Amino acid sequence: MDAEEKVSRYLEKIKKEDKKIKAFIELNPNVLEEAREIDRKIKQRKAGTLAGLAIAIKSNINVRGLRATCASKTLENYVSAYDATVIERIKREDGVIIGMTNMDEFACGSSGETSYFGPTQNPAAPGRIPGGSSSGSAAAVAAQFCDIALGSDTGGSIRNPASHCGVVGLKPTYGLVPRYGLIDLAMSLDQIGPIARDVYFTALMLEVIAGYNPMECTTINVPKQEYSKNLSRNIAGYKIGFAREFEEFTDPKIMGVIKNSLKKLENLGAEIVDVQLPNLGKGLSTYYLTVFVEFFSATRKFDGRRYGYKIEEVCGREVLRRILLGKYISQKEYSGKYYKKALQFRSLIKQELLAALSGVDVIAGPTVPKLPHELGTKIEDPLIMYGYDVLTVPANLAGIPGGVIKAGEAEGIPVGLQIQGKPLEEQRILNVMYALESNSGSRHDEKRI
Amino acid sequence: MRDDEQSESERNAERWIEMKVIIGFEIHEQLNTKTKLYCDSPTNYRDVPPNTHVCEVCTGMPGAKPYPVNQDAIDAAVEIALMLNCEIVKEPIYIQRKHYDYPDLPSGYQRTSLPIGRNGSLSGIGIWEVHLEEDPGKYDPITGKVDYNRSGVPLVEVVTAPEIYSPEDARNFLRELTKVLSYTGKVRPEGGTMRTDTNISIEGGARVEIKNINSIKGAYRALKFEITRQKNLRKRGVAVKRETRAFLEAQMITKTMRVKEEAEDYRYIPDPDIPPLVITSAKIESIKKTMPEAPHLKEQRFIRQYGIKKDDAWAITGEIEMADAFEEVCKEIDPKTAAPFFRHIIKKKLNFDNKTFSESGLTAGDITTILKSMNLGELTASSGELVIRGIIEEHKPALHIIEEKGLKRITEKDVVEKAVEEAIAENQRAVQDYLSGKVEALNFVVGSVMRKTRGRADAQTVLEMLKRKLEK
Repeated sequence: MDAEEKVSRYLEKIKKEDKKIKAFIELNPNVLEEAREIDRKIKQRKAGTLAGLAIAIKSNINVRGLRATCASKTLENYVSAYDATVIERIKREDGVIIGMTNMDEFACGSSGETSYFGPTQNPAAPGRIPGGSSSGSAAAVAAQFCDIALGSDTGGSIRNPASHCGVVGLKPTYGLVPRYGLIDLAMSLDQIGPIARDVYFTALMLEVIAGYNPMECTTINVPKQEYSKNLSRNIAGYKIGFAREFEEFTDPKIMGVIKNSLKKLENLGAEIVDVQLPNLGKGLSTYYLTVFVEFFSATRKFDGRRYGYKIEEVCGREVLRRILLGKYISQKEYSGKYYKKALQFRSLIKQELLAALSGVDVIAGPTVPKLPHELGTKIEDPLIMYGYDVLTVPANLAGIPGGVIKAGEAEGIPVGLQIQGKPLEEQRILNVMYALESNSGSRHDEKRI
Repeated sequence: MRDDEQSESERNAERWIEMKVIIGFEIHEQLNTKTKLYCDSPTNYRDVPPNTHVCEVCTGMPGAKPYPVNQDAIDAAVEIALMLNCEIVKEPIYIQRKHYDYPDLPSGYQRTSLPIGRNGSLSGIGIWEVHLEEDPGKYDPITGKVDYNRSGVPLVEVVTAPEIYSPEDARNFLRELTKVLSYTGKVRPEGGTMRTDTNISIEGGARVEIKNINSIKGAYRALKFEITRQKNLRKRGVAVKRETRAFLEAQMITKTMRVKEEAEDYRYIPDPDIPPLVITSAKIESIKKTMPEAPHLKEQRFIRQYGIKKDDAWAITGEIEMADAFEEVCKEIDPKTAAPFFRHIIKKKLNFDNKTFSESGLTAGDITTILKSMNLGELTASSGELVIRGIIEEHKPALHIIEEKGLKRITEKDVVEKAVEEAIAENQRAVQDYLSGKVEALNFVVGSVMRKTRGRADAQTVLEMLKRKLEK
């Protein structure tokens, strides 16, 4: 099947099913033409690594000529004038951008419900939320609307929907993937990463988008890795850490699935080791204080002068709540009390995680402590919503990588195993996921079980 | 009770005359780097149409991130700090976001570094800190349009201690600072880019900040006005409010912008997109090696090394290009001859034309040629001055001007003698006056000879020749 044919099939499927799922906000009008161009390159054997693969992009990443709305009325009419660094890299490797995906407004949410364009459905668990904030990207992969998607992860926004939708997702080490062109939620935590139907595509996309950008201050200058080539199922002798604290926060139904997959890993030759994360629960407040302050700062440019609307006047409740809290706690009189304290606590959490990781290869555990709620359920208390993030925010606070792969199902709903690693050790995470994936069979086999 | 109030205000009236004025400055000057502080857009925004030297970074487009801080700008700020005798901060220097809402600010915050240099001094006035900032765009409130060409141009900010005590001292300080900044060659040479905020208080009164000052003259006028305003308030027994005022250049007055209660909270946070700057000792040493000698140190050295007068040294070191030319000239000419020529002849012409030495087109070579010819007696002092004028006005080399204007001194005795004889014949009255004891009458005759020779004769020789002839 050539690229053009594949893309047309995706488009057809999207046309039929996406009215219900709402994975996309906008499709690329030139996608077929671009696919044809790549087919020519494929024939001439000049095509790159992603030749002809259909890639869906979260709507907070700039793709020249397409709208980066952040699923907000604020940027409803904002058409990107430039490509994000990751998009340049995807295009260089001949990936085809199929469209811009739905998301929680400005990535503020863990359910996919706060989009100005309406909530996204979970294709793997109809009637349930897909998780967020990269809701549309995970849903597009789960619904087979594309080959690979890009998401962004500030406190779990790739891992959370990957878990709920039963797909593979990876949040890379902070600074491994350039953020240039990613519209900010919290600059010190944001990281772009892949969501895909399997580990191979996840590794392939990571190796395309990862790597130093000399024009970006926060990218890390390390040699390029060939993650897809170096994938190995052999995890015999791997030490995999597990923290008792995970259980304190997590629904026992989910824990059951997680424990099962830990057993599988043991059967594959890995050794499960106890690690301690006593401050696990304290990450949330540190995380949210940081997000509020940085998000307040990041949204000052949406003052209504350049992009049509002033953000505070048109945004949803969650975005407004975060801006106002950020404005409040960043006041001179409070910054010492909140923001600076949050920064201090952050380094404590980082030390704790790195210490726990020092004796093991990776740490494995649950991704989200609860099963996704039913769409339309009113959750008025933001703290309950924030609770979804308790297991994912520590990786962002520490800047370490975290991957998610489907571990099984609880009540017919996918449950993802989260695997966290040391900074820049994405390969180990990918290998553990790869081993588990081969052991479990494909996503579709799993569903029949 | 009324009487009491009256006498109270009268007592105030007497006191205010003696009250000490305290002034401090925050001075911003654009650095002349090729590109902006956080992106590659060029900085020569004046030469191009609005919004053409911009990119997604300096217009703050969604998703754009700052490039690493322009190294030339960091080096320039370090050099300026060193020239102002600051200690360079060795700890990591954070770039902060200063939030405020204004049309010229594309991201809703301005990036400003924490101090790069601290605890310096200039002309006996403390320098609290030197740091880096980015210039915002230019907003035209009449059309409502913003030009982002200026957005992101690097600025250096110098903050002084409140140790200036009069508008005159303030003016002198700003002149001295401008001199130091131009010595480094790191600020925009075209001038008019300086922006100053000043804090002023009168002993016992609240501190008032004045913004929108764009020149040394403006600073002087704003301070003069503000002192009168504050003293008048105090004279009437009214307390001076702590507030921020704007200087309105055209009207030469200051006007309330906001009072203290409305003081802005900038909600400073360290910019998460930019790791803190670290300035190494090796960097400081390498900058020290190549940076120019500070003007006041150069002045002292000139006095010591060349044995010239303080006033001459001060005038010559006013501009680094002139100081360099002077040193070049002194390789061949006696400094004691060269110094007064620089100060009285060259500087006078430059001041008259309102030009800098570097704009004048004068070179050390030309000046050496002129002074050499004067020493050899080939050029008179007044011809020397004419050559200087000629070079500046006609942009031709010295030898050309001398040739063209026929300025070479007349040394042939008979030509001078002929002119002297003619002058005696034509000015019999002056000659008689001289002979009858009016010594100064002879100057008139000398003048006549000089006119006849178009200034090319040596006045002293003419005088002696006249005396000899008349005494016969």
